[in-house]
Amino acid sequence: MESEKTVLGPTLEIQGEIEGEEDLVIQGKIQGKIISKKNLTVDGSGKVEASVHTATLDVSGVVIGNVEATDKVEVKREGKMVGDIKAPRVIIADGAKFKGNIEMGVD
Amino acid sequence: MTPGVIGKGIRIKGELRGEEDLAVEGRVEGTIALKHNHLIVENSAVITADVDVQNITIKGEMRGNTAASDKVEISTEAKVIGDIRAPRIVMEEGARFRGVVEMDVKLPPGLL
Repeated sequence: MESEKTVLGPTLEIQGEIEGEEDLVIQGKIQGKIISKKNLTVDGSGKVEASVHTATLDVSGVVIGNVEATDKVEVKREGKMVGDIKAPRVIIADGAKFKGNIEMGVD
Repeated sequence: MTPGVIGKGIRIKGELRGEEDLAVEGRVEGTIALKHNHLIVENSAVITADVDVQNITIKGEMRGNTAASDKVEISTEAKVIGDIRAPRIVMEEGARFRGVVEMDVKLPPGLL
């Protein structure tokens, strides 16, 4: 069984550290730390309370914690995020909820 | 329901809990609790954890104690170090195992 995308389903709860070198979709609840070298997606049912290091982050669920992305952070219209973002590109959609500091590396 | 998959490129350190079937191809260190579900430890998986499940199929490498309320299956390609407690345990030829197996054996009266 080959897969390059991992989906952590809606009933899964993880307390601790997740490290990923493949795309990761979170539909459950994560508390702790996430380190991803690829794309991280927090689906509508996903609840993340963690410090996050990733290439890209798409938030349709809830994220509480500081996020550092090497590429992009996008808070979708149904997404909620509380925490600081550090990323070269940040997109906050109409309808999204966000509270925190954004640092894009603007001179 | 096809199980969710924790892929080869994923490493989890900590506590994992859930109410769905799950296949692990990557690494998990800590504890896994899927009390009413089936855990599949795929060939590529390396698990260092105490595990509490209903069913488990082990094809990869596992260290830790396993408690299953139904069945433990250790496949021919598996390597397991740890104790196992379950009403039904199947160990295939070729599997490597070190530990205690406890099946709650009821002997006929008069024995032991």
